[in-house]
Amino acid sequence: MVFNTGAALLDAIVLAVVSREKEGTYGYKITQDVRKVLEVSESTLYPVLRRLQKDDCLEVYDRQYDGRNRRYYKVTDRGAAQLMLYRSEWKSYSSKINAIFEGGVDL
Amino acid sequence: MSRREFIEELERLLADLPEEERKAAVQYYEDYFEDAGAEHEADVIRELGGPEKTAASIRADYYGTEFREEEYDNKAYMEKYGQGSRRREENAGWNGGTDHTANDSGRQDAAGNGAGAWSEADSSQRSRPGTSRRTKILLVALLAVALIPWLWHVLLVILGCLAGLVFASIGIFAGLVIGSVAVMIAGIIMIGVAVVLVIPFLPVAFLIGGIGMLLFALGMAATVGTVKLCAIVYPAMFRGFVNLCRRPFYGKEV
Repeated sequence: MVFNTGAALLDAIVLAVVSREKEGTYGYKITQDVRKVLEVSESTLYPVLRRLQKDDCLEVYDRQYDGRNRRYYKVTDRGAAQLMLYRSEWKSYSSKINAIFEGGVDL
Repeated sequence: MSRREFIEELERLLADLPEEERKAAVQYYEDYFEDAGAEHEADVIRELGGPEKTAASIRADYYGTEFREEEYDNKAYMEKYGQGSRRREENAGWNGGTDHTANDSGRQDAAGNGAGAWSEADSSQRSRPGTSRRTKILLVALLAVALIPWLWHVLLVILGCLAGLVFASIGIFAGLVIGSVAVMIAGIIMIGVAVVLVIPFLPVAFLIGGIGMLLFALGMAATVGTVKLCAIVYPAMFRGFVNLCRRPFYGKEV
């Protein structure tokens, strides 16, 4: 990966990944999903999840799985709103960058 | 390193965080190991980059400081936790900030030329000025070891200088106080002389008496002033010296 993924973009990606599961999803799966599209090291995502949780964008709950408690993450209303914002910001940002790359934009 | 050791080490490295933070992190990684499965335990530990790196990323986030992933990609660390993840770690340095651009060309060369160039890229990364606190302490320790033969002499010189400064300051202030007292005493003596001279030489007696009183007042004021100055200057000097000694250990905010 040539380009850096900044904190806001990573937040957005994690929110998007978590929001795809209505029932919520867990840390290992989130990491694997993010890593399908982005090369991040495995220790990167815990701080992101924790931060989003503290900002009330994610909520956590424990559910029994395989005889143990597994912690699930779920997008809150606030998180969903934040994700909407990220999506529209990304749309305008990426379309501007695309326009520059592909020419035909008046700077 | 086993999963157990990883978790224990992580817990130890997060000891200064609030209990709740530490528990949440430990539970997350316990879950993570469970979900990855026992057969992937070694992979996960390698991918996480060891407990130090994992702890650093958690602490950086908690304290709101920047986590510099590249610092954990040095050679000693890689030898300890395996070579396999090096390339991915290199590429995954997503949150390192702008300094990446400087290394990009080196990185591309490295990708082309293989192992030899990798170490070059590594060393160029390591020699960047943004060294961590840990590295600094290590360097100071190394320097100390290298200098042990002379350390005695250097220490003696420093101690000598310090002692000299202390005695000089004591001497200067003692001089000032004694001088002031002497002026005061001179004033008293002149007043005494004036009293003796009242009968034979009245005008001279008045002159000497006046000067004596003036000197006495001046001397007393100077004595009080210098003693007060000592009371202010010595504690301040002492504090300054203690702070100077603490500086290397506690950083700038003393």
